[in-house]
Amino acid sequence: MAYPSMGEAHRRITDYLNKFSDAVSYQDVASLAQLFSFSSNSPSLLSVADALNFFQDSNRLIKQSEKFSQYGEILAPLFRSLQSYRVGNLVDSYHAFEKFANAFIQEFRNWESAWALEALYVIAYEIRVLAERADRELASNGKSPEKLKGAGSFLMKVFGVLAGKGPKRVGALYVTCQLFKIYFKLGTVHLCRSVIRSIETARIFDFEDFPRRDKVTYMYYTGRLEVLNENFPAADHKLSYALTHCNPLRESNIRMILKYLIPVKLSLGIFPETSLLEKYNLLEYNNVVQALKRGDLRLLRHALHEHEDQFLRSGVYLVLEKLELQVYQRLVKKIYFIQKQKDPSKAHQLKLEVIVKALKWLEMDMDLDEVECIMTILIYKNLVKGYFAHKSKVVVLSKQDPFPKLNGKPVNS
Amino acid sequence: MATELPKPATEEVKVDLFEDDDEFEEFEINEEWDNEEEGKDMTQQWEDDWDDDDVTDDFSLQLRRELEKNDEMK
Repeated sequence: MAYPSMGEAHRRITDYLNKFSDAVSYQDVASLAQLFSFSSNSPSLLSVADALNFFQDSNRLIKQSEKFSQYGEILAPLFRSLQSYRVGNLVDSYHAFEKFANAFIQEFRNWESAWALEALYVIAYEIRVLAERADRELASNGKSPEKLKGAGSFLMKVFGVLAGKGPKRVGALYVTCQLFKIYFKLGTVHLCRSVIRSIETARIFDFEDFPRRDKVTYMYYTGRLEVLNENFPAADHKLSYALTHCNPLRESNIRMILKYLIPVKLSLGIFPETSLLEKYNLLEYNNVVQALKRGDLRLLRHALHEHEDQFLRSGVYLVLEKLELQVYQRLVKKIYFIQKQKDPSKAHQLKLEVIVKALKWLEMDMDLDEVECIMTILIYKNLVKGYFAHKSKVVVLSKQDPFPKLNGKPVNS
Repeated sequence: MATELPKPATEEVKVDLFEDDDEFEEFEINEEWDNEEEGKDMTQQWEDDWDDDDVTDDFSLQLRRELEKNDEMK
């Protein structure tokens, strides 16, 4: 850390103050936003931080001119935050940043046009990231981490400021997405509901008016929520939207979308090509797809077990586990075709004991009763058309379309 | 924070903080892109349930052998 001279420190700080004041006067949002992009760690910002830590009496400098003192409520906490940030006191930095942000919002409300929206986006981002780091600091000191939660409350307030009739309302989706990131990180995803309701039902918002990048992010997160709710048609719609509208160069984002979309598609009877899995490094799904294609229950179980941790962490484990019914359908269908080749006239009568034999081969030991139960479920869910002749322990298949395809619809629940 | 007492371990102290492995990366503020081509490509990377009367694959052949096995023994 190079320590400036007193004069140099004075110059840097005054320079910064001028930049702030001019940016507001000339509505130069790009210059303004740079002044509080802490996470950029830009050399100029860090050198101002050094100057502040050295000079120690920046409040006097703020008060020296009306040009700066009119923004005193904003600048004083901003300086404190920057100073703390520079020396790694992230909890202190967060506290001051929240004060700064609150003061900024007050001023922002008074500006009629939406010129400063991008600066607001930067504040929304920075406050979240700073809160995360503050929480890590708290946790490492054995204290309860609650700054990210606080940042969430702050952003809800910002949302409220933007949710009006004027031009500022197009900023609401960006703030929503920052909130999603917070709630997902904290595991409090139920809190997403109220912002979603506002975005989707308030008349002031027209979804099409929002910037594309925010729409993509929004659809990704709401798509993930639909997966958690096992609402597969809706999840398909939202995640597919995110996929087709995402910047194709953003491969890790595309990968994330696919990570959730693939289990959804599988639940609708639609398979990804292996080339897709290879391109985006999602080969953990490969055996699942193969199991579905083959009717190989053993392979499905193996695939679920092999990547159990991954699937549990992302929350798709249960979705994949439920594919078992579709795998059963495929297996029974195969047995049917094999029988058909040998004796077409009897093919539509499937003896339970034949299915038991096949399952045993796949290392699934089930007795007749259990298999009867499964067949009953398959029939009930319209994966198999037919009826069960209980006395003879035979499934009598419908002559027409005994194994209906899903055709993009989820299995009947 | 000299006055703040650490909460007891049985409560919410998360040393291993909640993470979301799949946090969407931020787009740049003015990031622009064109994805007409890729958008179409993406929709072609899926196959609907295809015609699957085919039982000549390895798995099906093994399955057939299994089912025939005990029949012969009867």
